[in-house]
Amino acid sequence: MSKSDLKISRWLDAHFDRSANLNTLPRNAILSNVAGDGENRLIIVDLKLERDTRCRLKVYKGTLVAADTVLPDVPSSIISFYHDRLNPRTPVVGVGCVNDLLMFKNNKPFFKYSLPGLPVLPAEYDTWKSIDKNAGIDVRAVVERLKGISFHSLSSRSQQLLNLPPSKQEEFILSYLNNEPMRINLITCMTTLKKSSQDTYSIACPIIGTEAGIIYVLDPQNFSILLQANVCNIKNTPYIITATGLYDVDYKILVATRENQVCLLKRGWVEGKGIIQTTGTIVEILVVPGDNLIVIATTDKMLHSYTKKGQKLWSIEMTFPITCLCVVALKHLNAYLIAVGLKGGLIQLYQGRRPVDYITVPDTPSCITFGQMGQEEHVMVIITFGGAIIFKILKRTADFNLSHQDTSMPLLNYNKSLPLPKRSKLFLEQSMREREDPAAMHRNFQQDLIRLRLLTAKEIAQNLNYQTGNTNERKQIKLSAQVMGLGPKFTVILSLENMNSDTPITEMSVVFHVKREIYHLSSYIFKIPMIPPTLSYKIKTSVHELTSNEIIEPTKVVLLDAKQRVLRVFVMKKDLNIPVLAATINMPSTELAF
Amino acid sequence: MGLLQKLSLLIGSVRKKEVNVIVVGLNNSGKSTVINHFKNDDEKVSEIVPTVGFSVERFQSQNLAITAFDMSGHGRYRNLWEHYYKDCHGIIFVIDSSDRLRLVVVKEELDLMLQHPDICTRRLPLLFFANKMDCKDSLSSVKIAAALGLDKIMDKPWHISASNAVTGEGLQEGVEWLTQQIRELLMKN
Ligand SMILES: Nc1nc2c(ncn2[C@@H]2O[C@H](COP(=O)(O)OP(=O)(O)O)[C@@H](O)[C@H]2O)c(=O)[nH]1
Ligand SMILES: [Mg+2]
Repeated sequence: MSKSDLKISRWLDAHFDRSANLNTLPRNAILSNVAGDGENRLIIVDLKLERDTRCRLKVYKGTLVAADTVLPDVPSSIISFYHDRLNPRTPVVGVGCVNDLLMFKNNKPFFKYSLPGLPVLPAEYDTWKSIDKNAGIDVRAVVERLKGISFHSLSSRSQQLLNLPPSKQEEFILSYLNNEPMRINLITCMTTLKKSSQDTYSIACPIIGTEAGIIYVLDPQNFSILLQANVCNIKNTPYIITATGLYDVDYKILVATRENQVCLLKRGWVEGKGIIQTTGTIVEILVVPGDNLIVIATTDKMLHSYTKKGQKLWSIEMTFPITCLCVVALKHLNAYLIAVGLKGGLIQLYQGRRPVDYITVPDTPSCITFGQMGQEEHVMVIITFGGAIIFKILKRTADFNLSHQDTSMPLLNYNKSLPLPKRSKLFLEQSMREREDPAAMHRNFQQDLIRLRLLTAKEIAQNLNYQTGNTNERKQIKLSAQVMGLGPKFTVILSLENMNSDTPITEMSVVFHVKREIYHLSSYIFKIPMIPPTLSYKIKTSVHELTSNEIIEPTKVVLLDAKQRVLRVFVMKKDLNIPVLAATINMPSTELAF
Repeated sequence: MGLLQKLSLLIGSVRKKEVNVIVVGLNNSGKSTVINHFKNDDEKVSEIVPTVGFSVERFQSQNLAITAFDMSGHGRYRNLWEHYYKDCHGIIFVIDSSDRLRLVVVKEELDLMLQHPDICTRRLPLLFFANKMDCKDSLSSVKIAAALGLDKIMDKPWHISASNAVTGEGLQEGVEWLTQQIRELLMKN
């Protein structure tokens, strides 16, 4: 009896079709709302590589095949995205075939986008261009020249030519003479990136990775190239690509390459940067949505986790080689699990690096996908190497006993406790008081905090005002005033003294400010000439106090109190919007003649 | 005359009592459509929207009150069903016979229900509607009964009828059976 017979499974066996005869690779099955009715269908690219067979695009509605389309060539990848805002919102399914992105809508061919061709090497180009139809073709010479170029960098027409028997070569050359020699830009992988909103129905850009190491981001509405970038500064062949973020805001594109590298391409970059190098060949790479960790499966049975910057967090070794990965998003539990498909038919579910569940299937899974299908939210679809398709539904009652501690921490720090200091007497007293009257303590703390903030704000405000560097100008000037006379005519003498021992005071002026109803001054503004160090400068102004009969409204006289019998003096510096010095001169009251 | 009204008349002639019926089943199986068919013509709604939580439909006829609890079948509301088991006199279980994928989920929910303490010891009549029989991929009521293992239910009277809740086909037969069962149940007590 196997282990799975003993435990109560968290999964219901919804459907199992051993004779589905499907042949898929990881990422070859997706769930998408292709009918626009909100009920996701399962879309599979079924690879048929034998002679006289054609690859197919199959659409499952529930457990039944609803559509089955023949594809023109061997597909490399499949995506689905919303390309317009028409109702009912229906996404297109995109299949990468050779250099074409074939798009299907409502299960019908909708649009074909072909990637631009790549230039051939100059040597090959010259060879083809040198052929002159009228002068007779020297087939041998052409073939010899092409043989001198490394085979894999030749265009497909030259490769084909070299593989033909000599008798057919001339005819072949003739049929191609009028076309420019070009290399096909072969699509190796695709993904999608939402354009400006994370909304389920928002439009998304298709992203294409090609054999030549180029990444294209396409506009979903008119299929023009929005961005073209190199995977890396050295030759790297992308073969898995994932993207997170929003094209219009910020995004990250991760590319796994055949050279065992993971390259990162960020918004604004035209060339990716290698951030992870693995020892084994990469089987699958995914970004766990919750904490944005990168999880990589390699052929040496290892599952690795990295931060989004490429720092390694942990690695675990599986008992069997990994064949595929899948994110199991459980929104109702607020958790993201990773399903790890293993050779032999075991599927392990991990939360971080903690195994939480497992499923067994009759043979090795080749592709796993999880999500909403039909009316059911939590469906796992497993396609095996034997061609079987298996639907499993997560039970409503399954909770996986998930812990919500941070499982991303590296193993090293896991068992080590933090070095905590001993509890001091002060700490104990403090905590005692806190327990006695927490409310008051909190209030006190808040009060002090607010005071501190106020003080800080005041200081900042003051500093901003004196920013011009004249902070100590006021200290350099000594202002004194003298009032002479009995009234109503007074003479005021101001004396400005430069207290500095070495720097002169320049560009100063003095402004008087008075109540016009009471005082008239001979002059209100004085320009002060330069005052050399240690010297002083006197200015004189005559003040005339208006007598009661000169005041238009006599009642006001009664209100004249000491506060209004003032002259305000402001010492100003040029280009400074606040006074350097301000003073008030209290004027004596006029001795009234009785 | 509406079906529930007929039901209430039949029961009313036996005993003046309130009768509670709960209507359960997965979301989108057609529960609200079934209930809508039982309503008086002036209370019928033309468009049925997905039920959130549950909705209570009451029918008053002579001295008899029938309360039908239309439970939402959405996963996150299914745990509400059990709160209504205690006080119900009969259960209507609606199944979308075209949703083959979720037949296992139906079985799971049915088993959970039959194991519930408020259900397992009682002789409650169970009426199954193999609904949406008009859909082209729908399974027959015999196949559904077999898939759900209804033949293993020994201690409760049960009945399955294929139905089309949109046209009302098959509903009559089922509800007449349920009425009969509840009447017998009430007479015994
Ligand atoms: N073809 C068909 N559609 C049905 C039938 N019964 C219900 N529906 C449709 O199924 C959908 C869900 O019905 P609803 O009563 O809201 O399901 P509930 O979630 O169980 O209450 C609605 O669009 C109904 O029109 C039926 O017998 N045949
Ligand atoms: Mg409803």
